[in-house]
Amino acid sequence: MEKKSLWKKITGSREASLVIVLVVLCIVVTIKSPAFMSVQNIMEILKNNAVIMIMSLGMLCVLLIGGIDISITSTLAFAGMTIGMMYKYSVIGSTFLGFVIATAMGAVCGFIIGLIIAYGKVMPIIATMGFMYIYRGLAYLVAQDQWAGADALGSFKDFALNNTLGFGVLNNVIVVAVVCYIIFFVILKWTKFGRSIYAVGSNAEAAEISGINVAAIKTAVYTIMGTLAGLSGALATSVYASAQPNMQTSKEMDVIAACVIGGVSMNGGRGSVAGALLGALVLSVIAKALPLVGINAIAQNTVKGVIIVVVIVLNVLTQRMMDKANLEKREM
Amino acid sequence: MAGKSGRTISATPEKALRKAVLSWEGMLLVLFVVVNIFCKCISPVYTFTNVLREMPKYLTEIFLLFPMAYILLMGEIDISVGSIVCLAATISCIAGNAGVPFIGVLAIGLLTGTVCGMINGLLTVKFRELPTMIITLGTQIVFRGIAEIVLGDGGSISLSNADGFRAIAGKIGPFPYMFFIVLLCAVIFTVIAEKRVFGRGLYAIGSNSRTAFYSGIRVNRMLFTAYTVMGLMAGVSALFLTSATYGANTTTGKGFEMDAIAMAVFGGISTAGGKGKLIGGIISAFIIVCLRVGLGQINMNPQVILIILGALLICAVLLPNIVQSINMRKASKAKA
Repeated sequence: MEKKSLWKKITGSREASLVIVLVVLCIVVTIKSPAFMSVQNIMEILKNNAVIMIMSLGMLCVLLIGGIDISITSTLAFAGMTIGMMYKYSVIGSTFLGFVIATAMGAVCGFIIGLIIAYGKVMPIIATMGFMYIYRGLAYLVAQDQWAGADALGSFKDFALNNTLGFGVLNNVIVVAVVCYIIFFVILKWTKFGRSIYAVGSNAEAAEISGINVAAIKTAVYTIMGTLAGLSGALATSVYASAQPNMQTSKEMDVIAACVIGGVSMNGGRGSVAGALLGALVLSVIAKALPLVGINAIAQNTVKGVIIVVVIVLNVLTQRMMDKANLEKREM
Repeated sequence: MAGKSGRTISATPEKALRKAVLSWEGMLLVLFVVVNIFCKCISPVYTFTNVLREMPKYLTEIFLLFPMAYILLMGEIDISVGSIVCLAATISCIAGNAGVPFIGVLAIGLLTGTVCGMINGLLTVKFRELPTMIITLGTQIVFRGIAEIVLGDGGSISLSNADGFRAIAGKIGPFPYMFFIVLLCAVIFTVIAEKRVFGRGLYAIGSNSRTAFYSGIRVNRMLFTAYTVMGLMAGVSALFLTSATYGANTTTGKGFEMDAIAMAVFGGISTAGGKGKLIGGIISAFIIVCLRVGLGQINMNPQVILIILGALLICAVLLPNIVQSINMRKASKAKA
């Protein structure tokens, strides 16, 4: 096999081209507003988008098996709201316990969704749409027309302010995100479970025949998604120092968008942890950069939407060009 | 005898009645009656006139059901309609406040919706490799984003002169005009789906898009038409919504796409395409409307209603699957 030139490698790999986009984006913004590249600002971006970044990992797995989950922010609100209320009424006090409860709740929520999709054979979009209503409704029921503010949360909100886990350098929230990314990178790349996820997404029937328990993998993936959503519920409560039943509403679309920008295929089987990370980073840098380069905050959603459409269209166009080039090469 | 649709082959004519009752649509009709009896029991004010009076609040979403059913039948999806409703409502309110005559406001509202639908259709047809879920996810953000820009800092607009809109919110006896228009649309869309070439094409594309293409169905043209009609109906929905709220804001129409999809799926239309009947969707839409009116009358927490609807939606898909798998297990045991 001939060795690929470096240039071809860069243009051929989705992640490399995203890195270039990200770098160019950062340079342009820094020229316009030098304050952007400060360490403090970057930490701020990472901290505020940690929730989206973490959930992108779960969504990556879900998209890899060819599914979709639009119930994640409802799970997040349900878990976040529950621990918020627990702190408010002093049922629990320790920060660690709050995280455990929220994550466990997310896992249970995800497990139920997984059972219904894998064993009940309900289409993922329908099942998660139903649970989007159910979990959001439960979040409102838990809240009982109240919300947990900064005073109610007590020491729990300090978690997002301290650097104890990051040895005084990195914010706790960022550490959690980084740990998640490392774990998922290892799982998806080097474990049997990770490779079975890709196998199920590429061809479920073939995977079944080669001895992979497809239903179990599907259940596990939705459970993972729920777990991460629950964890994000605790993180979001801590970062924003408030728990409200409508928290992060319709942010699931941002999570899906981050994955799609990162090159994760909606048909399953294709996508990487690096892609999901880069997609989430591009989205969060854009959101932060728009006001700095003088675009009104009101126009942010439009710009975000246009970028999503342009990226997916460009993706198709390059794919077509590559296919065409391959065909021409074969004829030679 | 094979039915005209060619999909259902009923074995013997004498079983037709049993089959009709046991079909999904038949069960929905039974459920419709049950829901009405249930609402009558829990709410003393659940009378015919009261239901009709409170209906318009919930009817606007039914306009979206018809074209959504078409799109789902083709195995595609459109999650941008809620945003189209928002944009169309916003633009028509602005036109109304700028002194455009009412007939012009109506035209502008419908036109806005249609153009948005055409954009969706164009993207879908030109980039068939992309799942429509992701295309309409992008346009969902864009359309609502444009509405946000147009609405400016306040994020809302109210009509300075609502006379025209008040007129279309009028009634004949106890029936609001909207009720008749919904029924008219229901008849037109059902006839097209069941009896016209276009409707049969929907099922063909949903079952196997490639086979449909090679048997001479103009798949792209049909997709484009369906998305354009979706936009047009979103415009209709926006106008009737405005006639009830006399204004628009950035959250107008949020979640409408999910409600429309839920009605269709509850009515037995598969999101995988090719399966289901529009009439089922229409019955289930009215079940949901009646349930909402009834539960609303006893002041039930709207969030609890959401939980009930979510559970109903999942059960509607889950139960037939369970029944089917039990039957299959029985059949395989009988063979062994």
